[in-house]
Amino acid sequence: MNGVRTEPTGSTRKTNSGAGRVLVAVYGIFALAATARASVQLITKFDEAPLAYLLSALAGLIYIVATITLARGTRASRRLAFVAILIELIGVITVGTLSVVDPEAFPRATVWSIYGIGYGFVPLVLPILGLAWLWHTRPVNP
Amino acid sequence: MIDALAYAVVALAGVAVIWGIVTAIANRPPGKAQLLYAAALEIVTVVQSILAAAKIIGGFRPVELATTIGYLIGIVILIPIAWFWANVERNRFSGIVLAVAALAVLAMTLRLLMLWTPAA
Repeated sequence: MNGVRTEPTGSTRKTNSGAGRVLVAVYGIFALAATARASVQLITKFDEAPLAYLLSALAGLIYIVATITLARGTRASRRLAFVAILIELIGVITVGTLSVVDPEAFPRATVWSIYGIGYGFVPLVLPILGLAWLWHTRPVNP
Repeated sequence: MIDALAYAVVALAGVAVIWGIVTAIANRPPGKAQLLYAAALEIVTVVQSILAAAKIIGGFRPVELATTIGYLIGIVILIPIAWFWANVERNRFSGIVLAVAALAVLAMTLRLLMLWTPAA
């Protein structure tokens, strides 16, 4: 598949190049949003919904890791990015489903509630794009 | 928050979003005018945050004070970081990076307008 590319492979295979820069930008915004939101929740009303707010903090941490590792684009950081994005996908599907099934336990309090409805469902699409991007930029000779 | 200023930010940010998409479609990196426009958007956003902070210091208490303060701080760091990130590798995607940041500024301003209701 890569043989038809005209660009030098070095610049097209990195996670932080081309469309990858947009992905990193979106991840960065979610890192900021989720972390800030979790910080406010944990500081001001941790007692109200400890589980939801700890998940909020976990989401923020995962977005931070994904942002940094995708922005670095080294081989080692790719592995870490893969793990982080996989956890992100599992997280948004799990929390999303639980928030639909049991809204009492998961009020609209995390970025992942109802599959990220408060953020235009971007949290649901983002990990899929992230994994697709990692696949698209995979090294040719491992 | 001053409603007129907030809507001005929303409008300016909306233009920045469209501008970023247009240069991406044209397969060009953002030009000087576009970068200056992003800087202008940033200045207006900073003014908005300062004025809102002044109202809070002056005694106004929104329902969710901590969240509001978080938004007022967070909203001003988006454009500078996107500006840097868009200029490291200049191509069509630089415009999309600026558009994404501007869209976040737009969404956060709308959210700030909703948050700006006095505590009972």
